[in-house]
Amino acid sequence: MTKAELTAHITAGFTGRVQVLENNQPEPYFIVNPDDLVAFARYLHDDPALQMTFLMNLAGVDTGERFEVVYSVCSYQLKHRLLFKIQMPRDNAEFDTVMQVWPAANWYEREVWELFGMTVRNHPNLTRFLLADDWNEGFPMRKGWTGTDFIPLPDRG
Amino acid sequence: MGVIKKLPVYTEHIPGGALVTTSVNSVLTLAQAKSLWYLLFGTACCAIELMATGASRYDFDRLGMIFRASPRQADIMLVAGTITHKMAPRVKRIYDQMAQPRYVLAMGGCAIGGGPFYYDSYSVLKGVDKIIPVDVFVPGCPPRPEALLQGCLEVGKKIRTLKIDEWS
Repeated sequence: MTKAELTAHITAGFTGRVQVLENNQPEPYFIVNPDDLVAFARYLHDDPALQMTFLMNLAGVDTGERFEVVYSVCSYQLKHRLLFKIQMPRDNAEFDTVMQVWPAANWYEREVWELFGMTVRNHPNLTRFLLADDWNEGFPMRKGWTGTDFIPLPDRG
Repeated sequence: MGVIKKLPVYTEHIPGGALVTTSVNSVLTLAQAKSLWYLLFGTACCAIELMATGASRYDFDRLGMIFRASPRQADIMLVAGTITHKMAPRVKRIYDQMAQPRYVLAMGGCAIGGGPFYYDSYSVLKGVDKIIPVDVFVPGCPPRPEALLQGCLEVGKKIRTLKIDEWS
């Protein structure tokens, strides 16, 4: 499906609970409520006109005001793809795992948990993943983070 | 007889052959410098240049350098690539497993001082000399095979200046 067809199909199929984010990219971009995340993922995966069976990427974002998690999914069968994201307050960021829909989310969610400190509900294995074994300096991908060995880029303006 | 010419020698020709006098130190350091077996240890793109240097075009083998997959058999560790904080204890452990005398060559910007990951990085160790002693630094990002070859020759020169009772 094209970008316009995908947008129309999803806004009709997931009525009222999905917000379209206008962009100039070739893929449509949606915002969903964190409470609807698993239902939306299941809808994208199971809908015969969508068949989003492949989670291409899952990335955490710290905008400075809130946390976001961006999901990139595509369908090998129907050759289309889209992006969607959830937004959470910075002080209480929690979202559900989508592993029951896309098992590939396992390591992505573990990475987001470790580097941003967002809590992933129902994840089976939230343990030390990418950082050093004796790491105790918090969440390095957060805005404003600093550590003992950290040298920020000087302003050469 | 190329090797003998380089020794500080007194050569006396006697019937049936030649007699060479030299010091034990000179022979042992020469042997060591001419057969530096290196540890296969690449953590980033410098390892590609290391492989190119070991392959037929540049040919480490003509310096007597053969790669070893085990630190127990290696004389020199070529730190080829970025060392992260997570990797640092492993590097230290591999270095400790090497038999003495042992040498370290830090190859490329990352191993020397963090390289492109010096600023704004939470994960990269800023110089492998913070965890193990380094004999020769080879700058570059990554260094060309010629530079790496020269670095290895510099290690050989350094070995030739050592005294065997200082080997450690």
